[in-house]
Amino acid sequence: MTALLEIRDLHASVGDKPILKGINLTINAGEVHAIMGPNGSGKSTMSYVLAGRDGYEVTGGDILMNGESMLEMEPDERARAGMFLAFQYPVELPGVGGMSFLRAAVNARRVEAGEEEIDQLGFVKIVREKAKLLGISDDMLKRAVNVGFSGGEKKRYEILQMALLEPTMAVLDETDSGLDVDALRIVSEGVNVLRDPARAMLVITHYQRLLDHIVPDYVHILAGGKIRKSGGKELALEVEESGYAGIDDAA
Amino acid sequence: MPGSMMQPDLSGVTATGGTRAAALARWQDNGWPGPRVEAWRYTSLAKLSDLEIAPVASLAGSASGPGMAAATGIAAHVIRFENGVVDPAGLTGLPGGVTIGDLGSDEAATARLAELAPKGHPVSDLSLAVMNGGLVIDVEGTVETPLMLLFEGDDRAASAHPAILVRLAAGAKLQLAEWHQSSVGLSAPLIGHDIGAGARLEQVKVQAEGAETTHLAATGVALAAGASIHGFSLSTGGSLARLETHVTMQGEEADCQLSAIYMGRGSQHQDITTFMDHAVANCTSNQIIRGVLDDTARGVYQGKVHVAPDAQKTDGQQMSRALLLSRKAEADAKPELEIYADDVICAHGATVGELDATQLFYLTSRGIPYEIARSMLIEAFLIDTIETIENETLAGLLRPVAEAWLAGGEAS
Repeated sequence: MTALLEIRDLHASVGDKPILKGINLTINAGEVHAIMGPNGSGKSTMSYVLAGRDGYEVTGGDILMNGESMLEMEPDERARAGMFLAFQYPVELPGVGGMSFLRAAVNARRVEAGEEEIDQLGFVKIVREKAKLLGISDDMLKRAVNVGFSGGEKKRYEILQMALLEPTMAVLDETDSGLDVDALRIVSEGVNVLRDPARAMLVITHYQRLLDHIVPDYVHILAGGKIRKSGGKELALEVEESGYAGIDDAA
Repeated sequence: MPGSMMQPDLSGVTATGGTRAAALARWQDNGWPGPRVEAWRYTSLAKLSDLEIAPVASLAGSASGPGMAAATGIAAHVIRFENGVVDPAGLTGLPGGVTIGDLGSDEAATARLAELAPKGHPVSDLSLAVMNGGLVIDVEGTVETPLMLLFEGDDRAASAHPAILVRLAAGAKLQLAEWHQSSVGLSAPLIGHDIGAGARLEQVKVQAEGAETTHLAATGVALAAGASIHGFSLSTGGSLARLETHVTMQGEEADCQLSAIYMGRGSQHQDITTFMDHAVANCTSNQIIRGVLDDTARGVYQGKVHVAPDAQKTDGQQMSRALLLSRKAEADAKPELEIYADDVICAHGATVGELDATQLFYLTSRGIPYEIARSMLIEAFLIDTIETIENETLAGLLRPVAEAWLAGGEAS
């Protein structure tokens, strides 16, 4: 069976600085993987490299989605192929209306799939339904993208986009940062609803607490640009107790 | 007078004397301003030195259509000019409250237009002297139907010199659209808005001239006590365009909202120049300018706010922002405040920037193709400016022109 996502000996630099130094990771459809690691270990770099952000240069290795290399693909092509990145810091877009943004994104995927563009009325209905589950108000939907949203609202809006775009490979970058307990629960429920045998998730986090809510199948510890240790969900609890120190030393 | 400056037969103008003869004499003395004239430092008219001033005497064809109003989707009364010559069909069946007369035979109105016209601007003199479509539009009361001045014509050898004085009587209210889509060599409209006490003019201008056309507009505005103008210009056409507007507050409590968007690509040159004269106290003015420049296009915004010694409690604001889509595009901004009163609120600012790479990445990471993402961000940059237009009918005229530009097509 071809893996949904296969990362092979991935090396990447930002500017002249090597950050990722040989990542190997295989994710199959239906699996949820967590990547944990201390600050500066390369977690966010990995999420940007997967999404194809400018300035994050792959210097070696490969990233395959459904067996095909993504390295030559632009961010929008990757997204239409099923990649989704929930940003750690969602970007404010003053003047860009939320609904037209969401619709442009959904229609870009539909056009790629050879489907009809969705009409405005039908779309508003779908968005409202999904937004309600995430506690996103009509007022928020009407505003410019992420403008005037609280930290928690921004994270919920990321999950709303994920729910609308129905990616096959979702990368969640520090989705728990800046969330209080209630917001964390809402966001996690929103993510759990999207767990699906055809979809995989890569949850990137510094803290174990997110993984109490989004329970992973596999946990990987990233440090110094390499995966140092892999295991089941119990590995997250180990880190919670003894910290990253021991793992760093092992490197 | 520069030797290369060709002249039409203007013996008739000289013979009549008065305002037009004086304007002609000034034009003949000064000609086109050179690069050493401060007001024209950023916008060179060198290419005009070989241009033949060739006002067209009469309408080329009889065909006049109401098509424009239909095409733009608004129910306006259209007064159409072709190669600068007014089509008489538009002068009948006027909306209630509007009367139109011939400017050339009205010395008092001609003198008033000369008074309002931007001082020292070549078109103020030239188009007054050689006007081939001179109108006085008088407005009383509230006119429900918008007026549209539509400038067409495809005579590349022609220079168009419409001269129009719009007079709003006290308390009058008018919606006016000015639409330029000709392909004449030189389009040089001279327009005056004489706005009476408590009157209100809601105005939009679309400059979507042909790619080879030079558009040099001189507009003068006078506001009596309590008068207001809400004006908006969208300039996307022409090879070289300068929209210059001079506003004088002649009575207290006057209000001037004057905003503009210019968009340029290829080697286009877009210039917005304004002079806001707060001559009396208690008036407000606000200008929002946005520019979008691609390829090797160049944009210029020169905005001067002058506050006279007695003009206390003036509120004068201007803010210009330019967005460069290419490394070779260039934007120049010259905001100036000249304040002689001490109790005023005045501010100006100018920024030049590029599209935000992080915002572009966010949009494309959602699957939105790069070109669409780029258009969304440019539109977002412009939208708050268009949203300042309170009159939805007039605002609706502008959006398709801006969208056509964003789509890369010819604005029309």
